[in-house]
Amino acid sequence: MVKVTINGKEVEVEPGKTILHAAEKAGFPIPTFCYNPRMDPAGACRICAVELEDSKRTVMGCITAVSDGMKVLTESAKVHDARKTNLELLLLHHPLDCPVCDCGGECPLQNMSFAYGAADSRFESHRNDEPEDMKSDVLVFNSNRCILCGKCVRICDEIQDVHAIGFINRGFDTIIGPPLGKKLDCEFCGDCLEICPTGAITDKFVRYQFRPWQMEKIETTCSSCGSGCRMLVDTESEAIVRISSQEGLGPNEGSICVVGRFGFNHVQNHSRLDKPLIKKEHRLVPGTWSEVLPRIADRLKSIVSGGSGRVAGLVSSRTPLEDAFLFQRFIRQTLRSNYIDSGARRGMMNIAKPLALATGTLRPLVDNEDIIGAEVIVVIGADPAVESNITGLAIKKAVRKNRSRLYLVHGQDVSVSTRAKEVIKLLPNSEAAFLELLRKVLAAGGSLDTASKDLLVKIGASVEGVENLLSDLSSSRKVVFVTGRRFHHSDAGYEASEALIALLKERGLWEQEGSGIFPLPELGNDMGVLMMGASYEWLPGLLDSGNPDNRKVWGTHWGTTLDSPGGGLKEILAGIEEGKIRALITLGENPFEYIPDSEFLRKTLGKLELLVVIDQHQTEIADVAHFLLPSASSFERPGHLVSAEGFVQPTAPSMAYWGESLPDAEILLRLVRQMGASLPFENFSSISQEIFKIFPDLRPSTRNGSHFQGKTGEIILALPTPSTPHKALRETVVSKIRGWEAGVSPGQAPKAEGQEPSGNEFMFQFSKSINHSGTFTTHDSNLMTIEGSGLLRVPRQWARKMKVKKGNCVLVRSAHGTISLPVDPVAGLSDREVHFPIHFADERTLALFGKDIVWNHRSGVPSGQTLSVTLEPVV
Amino acid sequence: MTKAEHGAALEITDEQIDQICEEFGNREGSVVQVLQIIQEKYGYVPAEVLERVGDDLGIPHSKMFGVLTFYSQFYQEPRGKFILKVCVGTACHVRGAELLVDKIKENLHIEAGENTEDMMFTLEPVACLGSCALAPMAMVNGNSFGKLSPDRMLEMIHQFQEEEASENKESVSAS
Ligand code: SF4
Ligand code: SF4
Ligand code: SF4
Ligand code: FES
Ligand code: FES
Repeated sequence: MVKVTINGKEVEVEPGKTILHAAEKAGFPIPTFCYNPRMDPAGACRICAVELEDSKRTVMGCITAVSDGMKVLTESAKVHDARKTNLELLLLHHPLDCPVCDCGGECPLQNMSFAYGAADSRFESHRNDEPEDMKSDVLVFNSNRCILCGKCVRICDEIQDVHAIGFINRGFDTIIGPPLGKKLDCEFCGDCLEICPTGAITDKFVRYQFRPWQMEKIETTCSSCGSGCRMLVDTESEAIVRISSQEGLGPNEGSICVVGRFGFNHVQNHSRLDKPLIKKEHRLVPGTWSEVLPRIADRLKSIVSGGSGRVAGLVSSRTPLEDAFLFQRFIRQTLRSNYIDSGARRGMMNIAKPLALATGTLRPLVDNEDIIGAEVIVVIGADPAVESNITGLAIKKAVRKNRSRLYLVHGQDVSVSTRAKEVIKLLPNSEAAFLELLRKVLAAGGSLDTASKDLLVKIGASVEGVENLLSDLSSSRKVVFVTGRRFHHSDAGYEASEALIALLKERGLWEQEGSGIFPLPELGNDMGVLMMGASYEWLPGLLDSGNPDNRKVWGTHWGTTLDSPGGGLKEILAGIEEGKIRALITLGENPFEYIPDSEFLRKTLGKLELLVVIDQHQTEIADVAHFLLPSASSFERPGHLVSAEGFVQPTAPSMAYWGESLPDAEILLRLVRQMGASLPFENFSSISQEIFKIFPDLRPSTRNGSHFQGKTGEIILALPTPSTPHKALRETVVSKIRGWEAGVSPGQAPKAEGQEPSGNEFMFQFSKSINHSGTFTTHDSNLMTIEGSGLLRVPRQWARKMKVKKGNCVLVRSAHGTISLPVDPVAGLSDREVHFPIHFADERTLALFGKDIVWNHRSGVPSGQTLSVTLEPVV
Repeated sequence: MTKAEHGAALEITDEQIDQICEEFGNREGSVVQVLQIIQEKYGYVPAEVLERVGDDLGIPHSKMFGVLTFYSQFYQEPRGKFILKVCVGTACHVRGAELLVDKIKENLHIEAGENTEDMMFTLEPVACLGSCALAPMAMVNGNSFGKLSPDRMLEMIHQFQEEEASENKESVSAS
């Protein structure tokens, strides 16, 4: 430790720390422009000047390391002078157009000038008056206001690893922007916008629409993916103006992705349902709550009086813990049925179920920080920056800062590929065979025999890449496996997960601190929804519903007897077909998005006596629904979400309920009352209390704590210290895993290896786009400006050969139909694969998959994400 | 891609770029040298070429563009066959460099930094060329011309035009 005196106060800091750090510790914060705790110091702006008492020299606080006995003055006359001069120089060419600058009011440059009174300059100067770069649809670059601190360029390089902008020209003419005078082409995270200390970068979506001091900031959690970013909703008169973030905030430490930052318009868009709708003579007509609820309640009562298991429920995996918990209890207790399922089945059941069986928990043993600290990271069937942006950032940081060795096993280059030691291209649906092979080879000493090599070639993997992977796996102790969409959706996804669990067991990695499996959920609360029991096989707390003892535990607690066995989506559809299930209630879930045969679905759902759809937008299901109830969005109601890392984070209401919409829980509670039944919940917070009481390990937690205050000044987020455990307990997991063995498939196991497309065929696959989340965001005007239609991503080599350009159409032909789709030629796609963004999958696209739904026997996950097609350019 | 060099069409393929980069072992640090070679060959650095070099050397396009615009020796646009670098440094200035510049502008109808329509000439006023004793002076494609007058300047331009014309004739008759 080094002793330093700051303004007469002595502090001890670690050697190597800067004066800035020491001063902060001593309670004398130093002003900065170009400094950021997450990035390497640049020493570009000189505003952090401090005086060394002994030598009377001024030095830059952000880049000067402390030495023992150093005496520093942070507010001396000399320091003030230096800072003032600096500001004068910075303001020399600055346009001083604060009154029309979006940044005015929250501008560090403005604040600092105010503090140091440096508004007039002793130097002759002319004001810059270059035109703004308006080419991008998202960000506007105003070089006149730029002080060249370089933060935007550095955050894009060092944190985002996107490198979209840079310094252009030299000396006085230097500006910031995208290269070659082109339109900005990047991931649109908006981090540069957020970090810029001036109004040099502004948000085109909301330019001139707000004054910062008139807005209220409400801290909440993004529900669009498993990263669980903490962000600030800036509102005016209960309407959202923009989303911002704050340095260090939440697990995301201040970074948020394009969906989080710009995707908020879908909740205040006129396509939103604003009234309950009732089907009358084949048409949906507006009604009132007092009209619809009694009618639904009556029908439900009469259906339920006929016996148990006659009603089914589907719930979205964006739904908070509270609503999910209430929903399953409503279905199980009030409606006496165990037919219940959620979007989390598709999202992650293939890995959740084996993990729960093996480890007893869904919470991971590792988090993003372990990823940053890992020696080896294996990303298999996942596109981290796209599926869970913050994990993507963690992986990039791991490689850059920590030299972690990154292996990427996928069918295409994904955004972290450039950082990978090896990109191992694998045919779709081959993860199970691949991992099983790795395990066997590792068990047998780690070298590949001829048979293994043959298999690798067959599934498209590079033998050399796998050899490197094997040698890294056998010599490393901190290994994290990241799985995602392609893995979780693969035909043998369940078997692949078992193979992965077994592989970790084989290598003794379950016992190793810092090692583990990190699945990327599909939406904001996949894990939470499963923990709450919103799937037929699990009662709350992941208790097997097939076990009478478990049913008794919950039944007694709830004062009821619980029905069994029920089923998931597959059984629900069959039950409706048979006429056994008469009513269905969906909460934000729309099976038309993923069941390929929409005709069958329409026919089946059409048999229902009662279909109640609770959602924010009208979707295909409305055709067959009897009631459409408007649901409040995550920006309107409270709730808690479980992130991929296991944090349990609250969402806070920031806008008024849209039209007459109500929170899901409120709708359900009203229905219960209307039915004359009862559940012991008065209101929303009584549900939260119940959950946190019965699951003591599910306590609100986040990284870095939280400090924002709610609307009325109270702290909405009583988030405890960052040390609250969010990860699973390793000892418990280790003791469970000892007794675990991979199960046996009840039916015929799906093929563990994919098939190479023959002749001129391609494998067509659905994948996620970075700019969207589910189909929700296709209602978002901002995100639709960024990506407004589904383009089929085709290998660039092929496109060049066939002379098709971006936006040209090709005929996509499968065994079940032909459609025409516009293409986007991309580099790095395996030359036999084409990908289509799932958000834009409509009936036409899904119809390519034909009528058969293949369900994984053990997880009930519908596959049908991969298919052989031929492509033919439309001339 | 087809690029005009000195008025003539010149083909520069991705493979050629890759080859140049390979000669430098695709090292990130060799970016300036690679760009210099490309500029020497083609007279400027076209956008697509810049991007390709970036891909080859593993340097993001934004950083490539930073390098390109940082050094004044690099050009993003094609330039004339004859680059008229007229010194406007102090010594040349007091000896009437502006008159030379004006003469060129007037006769070739171009402004500073522009090319003539036929891609023959580029006017490029520069700071001190280091031969102040010869002021006012100019440099054309590496050759120095001292103690210039506006008339002499005009003569030189005519001379270059004639040279070019006869060259073209030769190539026509030869074909
Ligand atoms: S929005 Fe993000 S990716 Fe785009 S330039 Fe800014 S920091 Fe880079
Ligand atoms: S645009 Fe903003 S962040 Fe970037 S260099 Fe200029 S002032 Fe700094
Ligand atoms: S979508 Fe995911 S990464 Fe993006 S802001 Fe939301 S939680 Fe964060
Ligand atoms: S904050 Fe220290 S130089 Fe910019
Ligand atoms: S000023 Fe022209 S050569 Fe020096």
